[in-house]
Amino acid sequence: MADLGRAALIVTFGLAVYSLVAGGIAARRNERRLAASARNALYCSFASTLVGAAVLATALVRHDFSFKYVAAHTNRHLPVAYTLSAFWGGQEGSLLLWLLVLTGYGALAVAINRRLLRDLTAWVVPVIGGIATFFSFVLVAVASPFDTQTAPFDGAGLTPSLQNPYMVAHPPMLYLGYVGLSVPFAFAAGALLSGRTDERWIVATRRWTLAAWMFLGFGQLLGAHWAYVEVGWGGYYAWDPVENAALMPWLAATAFLHSVMVQERKGMLKVWNMVLVALAFELSVFGTFLTRSGVVNSIHSFAKSSIGPWFLAFVVISSVFSLALIMWRLPLLKAKTKLESAISREAAFLYNNLLLVALCLTILWGVLFPIVTQLVKGETRTIGRPYYDFFLRTFGLPLLLLMGIGPLVAWRKTSLRGLMRTLSWPMAAAAVAGIVLVAIGAGSSSPGLIAYTFSTFVLATIVVELVRGTRATGSLFTLVARNRRRYGGYLVHAAVVLLAIGIAGSSAYSSSVERRLALGQSMTVAGYTLTNRGVTVDPKANVTETRAHLAVAGRWNGTISSGDNQYVNPPEPSREVGIKTDWLRGQDLYVIVDEAHPKTGLVFVQVLVKPLINLIWVAGIVFLFGSLIALWPDAREQRRLVARLAPAAP
Amino acid sequence: MLAIFLLYTAVAGHSTPTLTPSQMQGKSGKLQVVGTVVGKLHGDSHASSGLQFQLADPQGHSAKRVAVVYHGAAPPPLFRVGRSVVVTGVYAHGSLQGTDIVTKCPSKYTSSAS
Repeated sequence: MADLGRAALIVTFGLAVYSLVAGGIAARRNERRLAASARNALYCSFASTLVGAAVLATALVRHDFSFKYVAAHTNRHLPVAYTLSAFWGGQEGSLLLWLLVLTGYGALAVAINRRLLRDLTAWVVPVIGGIATFFSFVLVAVASPFDTQTAPFDGAGLTPSLQNPYMVAHPPMLYLGYVGLSVPFAFAAGALLSGRTDERWIVATRRWTLAAWMFLGFGQLLGAHWAYVEVGWGGYYAWDPVENAALMPWLAATAFLHSVMVQERKGMLKVWNMVLVALAFELSVFGTFLTRSGVVNSIHSFAKSSIGPWFLAFVVISSVFSLALIMWRLPLLKAKTKLESAISREAAFLYNNLLLVALCLTILWGVLFPIVTQLVKGETRTIGRPYYDFFLRTFGLPLLLLMGIGPLVAWRKTSLRGLMRTLSWPMAAAAVAGIVLVAIGAGSSSPGLIAYTFSTFVLATIVVELVRGTRATGSLFTLVARNRRRYGGYLVHAAVVLLAIGIAGSSAYSSSVERRLALGQSMTVAGYTLTNRGVTVDPKANVTETRAHLAVAGRWNGTISSGDNQYVNPPEPSREVGIKTDWLRGQDLYVIVDEAHPKTGLVFVQVLVKPLINLIWVAGIVFLFGSLIALWPDAREQRRLVARLAPAAP
Repeated sequence: MLAIFLLYTAVAGHSTPTLTPSQMQGKSGKLQVVGTVVGKLHGDSHASSGLQFQLADPQGHSAKRVAVVYHGAAPPPLFRVGRSVVVTGVYAHGSLQGTDIVTKCPSKYTSSAS
């Protein structure tokens, strides 16, 4: 069986090389039949990768421990869902998933666009073929999921903390995002190679970029929620290199999604868009290099693996290739128009882009800092949370404000007076919110206060826009249905506001108290009184559960339990926190029991009250919904597109 | 923009040296030590004498050890002998007064046997 998998990957590698080489020659010489053959090779590479993936999935389900991969990541006790999720639970499997998604996405994107954008897709095929060549090479030669051994009786199993539904969904979401970014990248490279640098590549890949960005964003929120409920330190994001590795390409893609609108509308920012799409793609591969190479210290202890240098080489080669392409085609990337006013929609997009890219690069600097100091000073120095928090506020708060102003500014130019008139309601709403917040004591944190006033401002602008549009069309439904991209975007903006409120609320206004409680003793935190009611130990088949029980009175009455689980196979502990959500306030009572002594009933407990934290998770759902509206197929838009692109195609 | 963050990292100095036990010679002050927990665990992090343990080089290249006395919230559940950890604290007279311990998650990319 393993031989079939191995053979399938070798076939994929061969097909990928063929679509790279033959596709390149075909595009260069404009040979249609050879181009069609290279394209077919790309389609077939998806099929052969699918065979390889099916072999691995079958081995997992059959508990075939003769596959080293299956033995290392599962065991007989593991439920089916987690057994299957082990497909992306390890390095080799996740690379296979990457290749599968890449060839699938690539084949689909090429198939959809091959008629309308023939000249361009002829070059997209070898670019995707090139990326697939790299991944299939790594899978065949460096990290094969099909290595075999004499089958042991049982496998090593999956760490208990990863046996969580969020961990089933989080990694593939991120992969769909990372890999999805290679489609716009390939089309951008195709546009440069073919010399067709008008906005067609952007229009053709808009949904691909949006989908990749949606998966990447939602995947990160799933990961954050997993950390919050499962890891149990009370936080959800630690600015760890592995987390930053997902955030950076997302920020670059966010900038790209905004700046392409300027190119579509005004023919400006062409070079910038090329740079951004390359940056987003390179960062997604660079993130993989960072997390697998062991060059930076992360709380996610990824084993130092042999694939690191290969990824670094790929990042370097593809970055040089992208930069060289852009430099070569610089004369074709001249802007059609100039920025006319500093108060215009295009200027607002430009500010948004500068802030997003600045945030992205400061995070990159933070991630690279230990490597840089090691090279320069010979001593590794790490940058901590204060650095990242500082820049999140410095760049994030103006971004939030801009999110309210930008959509209301007209293209070309707006007079300051006209803008002020449009913004009068939102500004009044923000002022009232600010006064009320200070009155109820939210002034204790100025970043928190600023975030809340800005958030009110943005929400008010969205409401103003909806009211204005509904008045014009007569129905909110028609309004949104006719302008899915615009109003989907507003909904995503609303999600970002909810996220900002959630982050500010849970960090700037949280309370935390640590106490040692003897049996019957109480403590009070932010309106909750907790009393130690004792410790129980419950031995079960594969796990012993130790729990401290605390009676809660005050804002909520009931019992909350927290402690730890000690598993037998694999022999790992996991911390089990107690969380009680108050949906009215969006607030969580979060109880971490550090130590629980069953005999004496003595416990060490940390109690956190996190206001508004649940808005972060609500934001995830709103974000998904808004992205889906913007993505939803629109027949009228498609007709407009065909009419616009057809004359340009030879 | 570049100037802002270069200035910020230089002036505000939020960076902390991250060292392995073999690199501790001649160092002092606030730092982070990356290492593997070795020897025996003594005491209790909530008690005045603290939780005491030793750290060895993560890859075992050197025999150098660092003694750690840790005070504060109980260490994360995965903390135990043999685990890779990052301890932040103040280093003086050959001993690290730890204030924070982060255990590395036995993540998906490490085989559970380690």
